[in-house]
Amino acid sequence: MPTVRLRSAAEYPTAAQKLFALSRAWFNHDFAEPPAMSRVMAWDPGFGGPHGRAMKRAMGPGEFTRAEKEMVAAVVSGANACSY
Amino acid sequence: MNAHTAAGKLQGLAEDAPWYEAAFVTGITNALNVVADGLADVLPPLDDATAGDATAVFAEIRAFHAGLVPAPFGALARDPAYLADVWAAWRRAFSDQRLTRRLKTALAFAVSLTTRSSFGTRFHLAELRRLGVGERGVMEVIGVTQMFSSYTKIADTLQLDSDMGAIAPVDRSPAPGH
Repeated sequence: MPTVRLRSAAEYPTAAQKLFALSRAWFNHDFAEPPAMSRVMAWDPGFGGPHGRAMKRAMGPGEFTRAEKEMVAAVVSGANACSY
Repeated sequence: MNAHTAAGKLQGLAEDAPWYEAAFVTGITNALNVVADGLADVLPPLDDATAGDATAVFAEIRAFHAGLVPAPFGALARDPAYLADVWAAWRRAFSDQRLTRRLKTALAFAVSLTTRSSFGTRFHLAELRRLGVGERGVMEVIGVTQMFSSYTKIADTLQLDSDMGAIAPVDRSPAPGH
């Protein structure tokens, strides 16, 4: 159970709604509510913005495809014993 | 982990088979790293002169790894039958199947970097380069490893529940050989 109360998308200011739209596009999925991590990162756009840009730069297609990089991210999460 | 498996499935890796392969690579990579890093200073690898029955396995390892017998396999040669089975699992895990050896090596490099294995990081980085991955590709793997070492710790610190596993398509195919 989260140690903080995760706010629903409606509780965020308008600027954050743009981040949630980007999140929908990134995952190519129409979430009923943005993923928990998207809502966490929207808490502080001064942190979440550059962190998200760095992530997208790392995940963009290059020598490896986006799907291959999602697999790299999955094994990193597994090695970190993170179930999220 | 659920989030990225789901995201990867949405990005085209929809079947389960590649994810099984990735899990096997992760496991056997960590297994070898543990022995390599833990025993490096206390149990030196055997060589052809001292390995006895294990030398035949060494020949297979060299054929797969461009003439090299990675040190942890040399340490395991003290029990040739055990070495043979670990090697067979390793070779199977890293062989081209649904995933390429190149991608599997990238996964192993990411796992090694994440778990701070000096042996695994060095070995799989060298393998990545040998398999044709350039500096840009190496940096891509480093970037993904670093960013998701951040996301995972944020998720763990706030004890976030996985909320993305259900968005992935479900593979209803039977087990291999069924």
